[in-house]
Amino acid sequence: MALIQIKNLTKIYSEKNSTVQTKALDSINLEIERGEFTAIAGPSGSGKTTLLNIIGALDYPTSGQIIIDNYNLSSMTQKAFAEFRLHKIGFVFQSYNLINTLTALENAEYVMLLQAINKRERRLKAEKILSEVGLANKLSHFPNQLSSGEQQRVAIARAIAPMPLIILADEPTANLDSQTGAMLINLMKELNEKKQVTFILATHDPMVMAKAKRLINLKDGRIIS
Amino acid sequence: MRTFILIAFRNILRNKYRSAITISAIAFGLFALIFLKGFIDGADYQMINNYTDLLIGHIQIHAKGFQKSIGLEKTIAGANNLIEKISKNRKIIAHSKRIKDFALISSPENSYGVLLLGIDPEEEKKVSSFHKRIRKGFYLNPQDKNKIIIGKDLAENLKVALEDKVVIMSQAADGSLATAAFEVCGIIDTGAEEIDKNLAVITLSDAQELLTLEDKVSEIVLKISSLKEVDKLTLTLRGQLDTNLFEVLNWKDISPMTYQWLKFDQIFTSLILFIFLIVVASGILNTILMAVLERTREFGIMLALGTKKNQIMFMVAAESFILALTAALIGSIAAILTVNYFGQRGIDLSKFSKALDSFYIGSVIYTRLEWGGFFISLIVVFLTSIVTSLLPAYKAANLKPIEAIRHI
Repeated sequence: MALIQIKNLTKIYSEKNSTVQTKALDSINLEIERGEFTAIAGPSGSGKTTLLNIIGALDYPTSGQIIIDNYNLSSMTQKAFAEFRLHKIGFVFQSYNLINTLTALENAEYVMLLQAINKRERRLKAEKILSEVGLANKLSHFPNQLSSGEQQRVAIARAIAPMPLIILADEPTANLDSQTGAMLINLMKELNEKKQVTFILATHDPMVMAKAKRLINLKDGRIIS
Repeated sequence: MRTFILIAFRNILRNKYRSAITISAIAFGLFALIFLKGFIDGADYQMINNYTDLLIGHIQIHAKGFQKSIGLEKTIAGANNLIEKISKNRKIIAHSKRIKDFALISSPENSYGVLLLGIDPEEEKKVSSFHKRIRKGFYLNPQDKNKIIIGKDLAENLKVALEDKVVIMSQAADGSLATAAFEVCGIIDTGAEEIDKNLAVITLSDAQELLTLEDKVSEIVLKISSLKEVDKLTLTLRGQLDTNLFEVLNWKDISPMTYQWLKFDQIFTSLILFIFLIVVASGILNTILMAVLERTREFGIMLALGTKKNQIMFMVAAESFILALTAALIGSIAAILTVNYFGQRGIDLSKFSKALDSFYIGSVIYTRLEWGGFFISLIVVFLTSIVTSLLPAYKAANLKPIEAIRHI
C-alpha cells in the first residue's frame, strides 16, 4: 500500500466577500511510495505549493481524499493536524524559516523538543545530522550568522533529525546559487537513500527535476505527466 | 517549557530597542502611578495633620452636648483627674485643656464677634502647631497676664497692631458681664480664613478668671501616636468615660465636611488612577501587540512545525512576564527613591500656596509612600502587563500557519 494516496483531490480558493473562485487543484489522483524522491514541477500557479500544503497537513482539500500512512487527512481536526505534522512531516521552506533566536543546534533540536524527546538524545541526533550536512563547526551560530546555503542546510537538518515519514521541500533551491543548490539536492538525495525518508520537492529548478527519481508535472491544478 | 522561556528571553534581547521602549512604558507607568499616589497621599496626610494640628487635635473630650452648643454652661470640672485617668493609654502622647467661648472683641475702631480660646501655652504647644503660626509678635507665656493673640485678618479689621489694646466682652459663667482689656502680643497667620478672621487666644488662667470658671475647662484636646488609631481610641475612651456626662469626639466627628471631602478626594483620586491605568495598559497592549505582529511569520513556522497553541501562548506570555518583571523592578525602585526624596525635600508649590493653605495642605507637599498603595499599584500594573499580553498571545497562537508563513 502506497504511503500517500490521493484520490480526486480538489482545492478551490474563494476570495472573501466575492464570488470569484480559483481552482488550485483539480481532481488530482496520485500515489507516492515510501522512500521516493519525488519532484513536483510546473509553472507558477500550477498548484505545486497547494499540493504540498495539503500533503503537509497545513491546508484542507475542498473535496477528494488524502490518506497518508493510514491517516485520512480530509477528516482531521486542526489539533490532529498539528500532531500529524509534528510526528510525520518535516518541512524545508523556500526562505529557510529558521527560528532566529535559536542557534543552529537548537533549531535542529526544535522539532524533537516538541516531540518530548529527552535532551541528551535530541542533542546527539541534532549534532550528528548537522555534522552530516557539514555544519559541525557552526552549531552555536545563530541564523543571521550563517550564509543562505548554511541556513538551508540547518533547515534540512531540522527536518530530517526527528526522522519523519515525509520531508516536504518547497522550492528549496530558489534562493540559493546553483552550486549551493546542487550541493543541497545531493545532500537530500543522500539522506533519502541512507535514511529511507520520503522526499517531495516542489520546484522550478531543472537541476532538481533532473536529480529526482520521479517527476510529476502540474499545470493548472492538474497532473499532466 | 525551558526552551520557550529561552526563546522569549532571546526575543527580548534580539529587539533591544523595542524591549527598551516596552520596559520604559511599563516602568514609567508604574513610576507615575506610585508617584501620583504618593503625592496625593502626602497632600491628604498633610491636610489631615495640618487640620488636626492647627487647632482641632485628634480627639476632644467635652461635657456632653458642648459641641452642639458651645458655651459656659457645659464645662468639665476636675479636668486633671480625668486626664490622669485616660493618659495611662500609651497611644495618647499629649493633651491640652482649653476654655472655648464666643465673645465680642473691640478696638477703638471696630467690634467683632470672635471665638475666644483660653489655652495653657505649654500644653498647647504639644497638641497643636498654633504657636508656629505667629507671624508678628510672640506666643503666650504661662505667666502672661492680659495678653492676647489674634488672627491677621481680625487685626486688620480691628485696625490694631502689636502692643495695641483690645477689649474682650462676654457673659461670665456666673451670669455677670465679663470684660477686660488685653494687649495684642502676637498676630497669627494660618492661611485659613475662618481662623485668621475669627480667633482670639488668651491664657487659660486669664480665661478662667475672666469667665469666673475657677478650674473648669471647656475641652480636653488629645494628640495620639497615629492618625490610624483615631477611630479605635475614640471607642476605647467612650468605653472608659461616662457618656452621660462626657462626649468623646474625634476630628471626623468634629468636622464631618472635611472628612467627607477627603473621602470624595480619595474616590476621585482612585478614578484618576484608574483612567491612568487604562492609558498605561493600552500602551503596554500596543507595544506587545506590535511585537507579536512583527513575528507573525515566525509563529507561523513554529505552528507549522507542530508547536502547540498553548506553547505559543506561554512563550508570548513569558516574554511579557520578563518585560513586566524588569519594568516593575525599575519602576518601583525609581518610584521609591523619588517619593522618599520628595518626602524629605518636599515639592514647593508656593505659587498656589494661598489656595493650598486654605485647604490646610500647605505650600510644600511632602510625598508619602504608603506600602499598601504601593503594592496595589505594583500588582495592578504587573498583572495588567501580563493580562494585556494574553490578547496578542491568543492571536499569535490562533494564526493559521499557512497564512502566517506567507506574512512578510
